[in-house]
Amino acid sequence: MIPFIQLFSLYVIIHGASGPGGGFQGGVVFGSSFVLYVVVFDIIGGRKRLPESVNTVLSSLGLYIYAGLGLLCIILSSGVAQYLNYGFLPFTPHFEENRALSIEFVEMGIGITVMAIMVSIFFDLAWKEKNRKGREK
Amino acid sequence: MKGLPTITLILIGLLCALFIYVAEDIPVFGDPNSPPIKYVKLFSIDADALEDPLNRGVIPNNLMDEFERRGFPGPSRVEKVTGMEGEWNTFVSKEEMHYSKEEKYYWIKKEGDKLRVYRYAFVVRWIEKGQEETGTPNMVTYGLADYRGYDTLGETAVIFTAGVSVILLLRRRGRL
Repeated sequence: MIPFIQLFSLYVIIHGASGPGGGFQGGVVFGSSFVLYVVVFDIIGGRKRLPESVNTVLSSLGLYIYAGLGLLCIILSSGVAQYLNYGFLPFTPHFEENRALSIEFVEMGIGITVMAIMVSIFFDLAWKEKNRKGREK
Repeated sequence: MKGLPTITLILIGLLCALFIYVAEDIPVFGDPNSPPIKYVKLFSIDADALEDPLNRGVIPNNLMDEFERRGFPGPSRVEKVTGMEGEWNTFVSKEEMHYSKEEKYYWIKKEGDKLRVYRYAFVVRWIEKGQEETGTPNMVTYGLADYRGYDTLGETAVIFTAGVSVILLLRRRGRL
């Protein structure tokens, strides 16, 4: 079930431009797959699957992708300084196609951040609960 | 203290009545021609001798003066709405880098012996021009990521901040 959920979430993110969905929704679905893993197996194994260091890096990576695209726009728009006007990025020779492509990248950035943050919050809450029980015993 | 539930019930009933009364004025959901979605009224002007030049595609001088007197940008071109008598679309050309296209801006309609001048709402442009400008078929997506890019960047930052604050509050024992 878990790989199917992850595949579906990737579908939601990538087809966000043509169908319903997008970065936020796809990220939450991807995060929920990790929650399912922890529910089915255990929290130690879940943490091994997605270590804390990777989680922390991922949660800021998405935001960096988003803001970095905007900064690239400022640099490449050559003096106009239009933040987040994706048309100036040199992916394809067409202004409009650049915008369409950059929307996809932005959605991916949003998806990565949302996924990492959801998983991080879930692990923090669940981990603490377990610790408290251990102390009481 | 005993009368409190009764008073609360009456207040809730009054609030419901108020909401229903207000909701009567809301236009039908999804109607593309309802006023808040389509246009904003600017002013009205006497229609005498203005109609013929508008039909020929010329902007009359006194209409132009009226626009400038009220501080609106003057229109550059006018054309009839296809299939409608007494309605005109007016275009404004903008001097903006990489977007130096003219835009559908005013909507002039004849009502009685007056010409009413409306300005199109932003939503009209969003629906009509969005796909060709961004190359994305989904209206919600190009709104979210392109036209409102700043907004979405802020939303993502809010989620990031929420995650970081949960880490700071709950994750102790000196590890990050």
